[in-house]
Amino acid sequence: MSETEHQKCYIYAPPLPEERASKRQRTSKSNPQKHLPERLQTYRKIWSHQEEKIQATLEEADRVTQEKIVNFVSVASQPEPEHRQVSAIPTGLVIAGPSIASHGPFFERLGRRIRDDTNSAYFVLTSGESPNLKTLLKNLIKKATSRVDDDDDDDLGRPSTSSKNGPKLLDFDLGHLQEWQSRNRVQSIVVTIQDSEAFDASILIEIVDLFYSWLDRLPFVLLFGIATSSESFEDRLSGKSLRYLEGQKFDVTQSSEIIEKLFSATVASTDIPLRIGPNLSRRILERQRDHVQNVQDFSNGLKYAYMSHFYANHTSIFLDENVSFEHLSSDMFEAVRILPSFRRWVEGMLEEGQTQEVRQLLQSDQFLFENIIHLVKSGHETLSALSIASTVFTNVRESLQMSPDVPLSSIWTRAASGEMIGSPLLRETMLLIKKIPSDKLVQLLTSMEDLDTASFTIDINAYRHELADLVKRNVNSTPLRSQHDVRNDSLRTTVVAQKVLLSKHKAALSEQDKAYSELVARFHDELDDYFTSTFINPRGLILSEILIYDLKSPHTEVFQPRPRFAIERALASPHDYLGCECCGADLGENGEVSLSGTQPSTAILYQMYLESGALINVSDLWSAFRAIAGDEEEESESKTMALFQRSLAELRYLGLVKPSKKKTDHIAKTMWKGL
Amino acid sequence: MASAKRKRTDDEGETSTPRKLRTRAPYDDQSDELEAAPEVQTPSRKTRAHQIVENETPKSILKKTGLANGANVATPKSQRRLVFATPTKSAQDETPNGTRTLVRNADRSARRKSNRRLIERTINGVDSDEETLDEEETLAQQILSDAEEDDEAAAGAQEELAVPDTPSKRGRGRPKGSGAGKVGRPRKQRSPTPPQDLPSHEEYFWQNRPGGAKTSNNTLPSGILLNHDEYFQAMQAYQDRHEPEKNFLLELHSRAFDQWIFELEEGFNICLYGYGSKRTIVDQFVAHLYQHLTECAHYKGSKKTPAVVVVNGYTSGTTVKDILATIASIAIPSKLKMPNQPASLLAYILDYLSESPPPHPIPIIVNSIDTPQLRKSPTPSMLATLASSPHINLICTVDTPSFPLLWDVGLKALYQFLFHDTTTFAPYDAEIDIVESVNDLLGRSGRRIGGRDGVGFVLRSLPENARSLFKILVEEQLGLLLTDDGADFDQDDMPATVRNKKIIAAKHTSSESAQGVEYRVLYHKAVEEFVCSSEVGFRTLLKEFHDHQMVESRKDAMGTERLWIPFRQEELEGLAEDLAGDAF
Repeated sequence: MSETEHQKCYIYAPPLPEERASKRQRTSKSNPQKHLPERLQTYRKIWSHQEEKIQATLEEADRVTQEKIVNFVSVASQPEPEHRQVSAIPTGLVIAGPSIASHGPFFERLGRRIRDDTNSAYFVLTSGESPNLKTLLKNLIKKATSRVDDDDDDDLGRPSTSSKNGPKLLDFDLGHLQEWQSRNRVQSIVVTIQDSEAFDASILIEIVDLFYSWLDRLPFVLLFGIATSSESFEDRLSGKSLRYLEGQKFDVTQSSEIIEKLFSATVASTDIPLRIGPNLSRRILERQRDHVQNVQDFSNGLKYAYMSHFYANHTSIFLDENVSFEHLSSDMFEAVRILPSFRRWVEGMLEEGQTQEVRQLLQSDQFLFENIIHLVKSGHETLSALSIASTVFTNVRESLQMSPDVPLSSIWTRAASGEMIGSPLLRETMLLIKKIPSDKLVQLLTSMEDLDTASFTIDINAYRHELADLVKRNVNSTPLRSQHDVRNDSLRTTVVAQKVLLSKHKAALSEQDKAYSELVARFHDELDDYFTSTFINPRGLILSEILIYDLKSPHTEVFQPRPRFAIERALASPHDYLGCECCGADLGENGEVSLSGTQPSTAILYQMYLESGALINVSDLWSAFRAIAGDEEEESESKTMALFQRSLAELRYLGLVKPSKKKTDHIAKTMWKGL
Repeated sequence: MASAKRKRTDDEGETSTPRKLRTRAPYDDQSDELEAAPEVQTPSRKTRAHQIVENETPKSILKKTGLANGANVATPKSQRRLVFATPTKSAQDETPNGTRTLVRNADRSARRKSNRRLIERTINGVDSDEETLDEEETLAQQILSDAEEDDEAAAGAQEELAVPDTPSKRGRGRPKGSGAGKVGRPRKQRSPTPPQDLPSHEEYFWQNRPGGAKTSNNTLPSGILLNHDEYFQAMQAYQDRHEPEKNFLLELHSRAFDQWIFELEEGFNICLYGYGSKRTIVDQFVAHLYQHLTECAHYKGSKKTPAVVVVNGYTSGTTVKDILATIASIAIPSKLKMPNQPASLLAYILDYLSESPPPHPIPIIVNSIDTPQLRKSPTPSMLATLASSPHINLICTVDTPSFPLLWDVGLKALYQFLFHDTTTFAPYDAEIDIVESVNDLLGRSGRRIGGRDGVGFVLRSLPENARSLFKILVEEQLGLLLTDDGADFDQDDMPATVRNKKIIAAKHTSSESAQGVEYRVLYHKAVEEFVCSSEVGFRTLLKEFHDHQMVESRKDAMGTERLWIPFRQEELEGLAEDLAGDAF
């Protein structure tokens, strides 16, 4: 070990084989992860479906924009260079929104399409690789020349390449590009400035000027990725460079919309074997909204949830469609029998006196297996119904144009946590349906027809026909109104004994209105029943532990670590991590662990550090440290000093202290706990 | 406030005995005589006593003069959880001020006071209207200030009640004896004890308030810090009592190895954080990963072995080029010619990997990816690009608590990290050069070249004029130190007064700027003494010192370059002697 610890980089070489052998035996002896390969296989199968959906959604999401840009590029490169009047560089301003993390993938997908659909070369430049014009051009030329023919690679290190005639070109001369263009004959050279805001304005201006001067020889098309707005982009360029550009604006679908689409495709869709629970989905969505705004991150979060479920939950094996009884060990069934939801179910059966069945469930693995398969299947159906109901509900609200625009993700999350029944949201929506006039009902029914009606019980068509009849018979130009419509109520004021009495009065309904009211009432009741039956609390489902993954624990730490907290905690109360008897035993007066000499030396020093001011006298720190960590004997002082030095060096390494020149032997504090 | 008032009324009831009144009487007389000038009322002796108390009260818990110098000053107690070995009772606590408190309490009621004053005045006869007016004002002021003092005392008393089982602990707030004789508006003074249980942002402002940092002038005795040999000798003998617990932590983390491998297989990269060196855990993981890879189908029956790249980011001089070169050496057949520039090498590697993908992603381990040398501008983005490749698995460790700030959203999206807390409590033996780091922290980097002997060794090998230049520098620096010290000496003798504090503050700023010898000054001296004739020659001589780290230079606030020898005064004096005595 010791010879490698100061090497910069090395390739791991295993130690001699005999030490290894014993370790391997130990791991294979007791295998806690039985069926892990099967579970992981199931995971891969299920996740690959999800991934396909995600990819499809993403492609779909910016298909329209990409098509527009591709069209723009191909139109820009239409006229032959000879005839082309050199007026301005065709420029696409791609408003890609503030989530810069998704810009990279977007321009990558765009590049693929541009290369496939048009005869163009496509190069992306980022601010990181272009600190100045020279480097930018070098990069551009490198990208262009090495992408096509590999033999040019050898020339990269050299300042010049062989130019047929004339002097040698410098390696940032666009002449290289011209030479390359003469060989490849592309219709246009699309240069994408991915993060235009991060570029120095002067570089942008220089690029535009330079490209413009080459426009008669090289068919440039510029694409600017813009995170803010096209106006602020234009402000950064000078009027002269703006004249060289001929711009068109393209709006990219914002990542929040894409997330919403992804959510409905992956979480709130129908044919999903494993669902993430409401807490987790809320957490992922919040993180999206507040912190990252990154499509990749969303799908990673989802993926990790799936991974955790199949990796850690033994019972997840039952999610495999082809699971067979013969392959399972009895441990699996024991695992199912200790699930809380299974226990609840069995207890419920006992209360109802179904003792025979319970006995069988507890004793016969075969019987339990059949039950599990059945329950998992029905559980899937229930959850799918819940998802469909959420979609229906969102749809209803959308077509009624109800004012707080609640997205599907939030409705689904509420439904999945069982909060939908009796919620103001549902009540409000149902009340509005009661009052719905006929023209709106037509719209609503039409929109509902597009839905996936596999488990949707209401016969929309019957209603439509009935409604169509009624509307046809309606002679008035005004739409039919139901009896709950406010316009059918009138207020009557009477003054009785100096008191004003307000009384509601129903206007007399016409024959058609009555028939319509009856129809609306039926529709309302049926829809109400439908929602009541489908918006169940999924956590009450039997075997919900298998069907739903809703654990916060590894997910949060893995994606949103709190490293500073972890380090501060380790140093401030080392007992939390070490769990030793010596350090945690004596609690101070306020219940806090008091500083004791048995704690790790850095922890002792850190706690002294916490109590000190912004400037620390190391000499005094040393005396305090010695008083606690050292023992009485003189000869052990060098040991204490060694520990002190080590702890001090560690504090510095962690960035907690820095040298101070204010006073001799003083150091400055740089971090305050919890800040 | 409310409780204080209640207390006062209680006192009134209890203490209204004639005896108490009598005790109080002489004091009242005195104040009567001096009532025209209330400030003078305070007996000067008491003021001084109070000041002494103030001096002895620790401004910081770290100011433990008593322990450090063995003087018999009261041990400053920790304000919170610190439990020190010697619970010495503070001298002020022993002042038997019980009776005086009672007396004071007896006189606390404002009404009682004014009544008494009125009675006295009627007995003595009214002097003049003007004087009465004046008197009333003074009286009001006096009562007000008394009430204020009262509150403070009450608060102090309450706090003392809260911690009854630590009698050695001095109550917070002002010591009681000091405020007893004080009449008139007391000067608003800061309590020397830091306020407790502040939220951390408040604590930050409290500790950074102007003039807040009062620390002692103690310095570490020279030679107390261990050098490398002594350090390693001491550490060899040291037995960590937490060894079993630390091993248990390692064992806990190692249980997650299979999970980590699964995560890597799924295309994530792994980042390990937490306190303690993670090298051991990473080494174990590498062994485990190696084992795992050997068992996979590709290597069955063939002589090939999986290759795992390990990078030690903490080793000084590690660059992204080294990393890429190592990766290239295993990923790309050696017959291919590779580009030289890191950026193009990276692109080349990624291209090659995507064209001819390896049987499994190449694992790359980076220990301490957050060290300064790997933080510099292009490195993180290049590493991120590398990590985003599906043919690369990155496992890295981070040590600093604020590492997430290193990566923006774009980089984070590329890295695709999963974070795992692997707190190990293991010492950072490989990561830090402990002795060096502490010396540097305390500005004693001169110890690097082996102190005086090392300097002598270097000087002996240098020409005569280099030695002369060094001698000039030593003498100049000593001169500066001595002028500084003079001020120091004065200040120690004088009693602490406001004026003196100002001097201290001024001195600190001056000493900061006066640290080291100005480049120009040194050059002219050197020319005067015929050490060198041109600035080029001067530079050449200095460079030799710089190379051996015998001289350090820095630009001060004014932008002038200053040079100094990184030694303390005693060592400098020794050096000067050696130089003068022609020891070299």
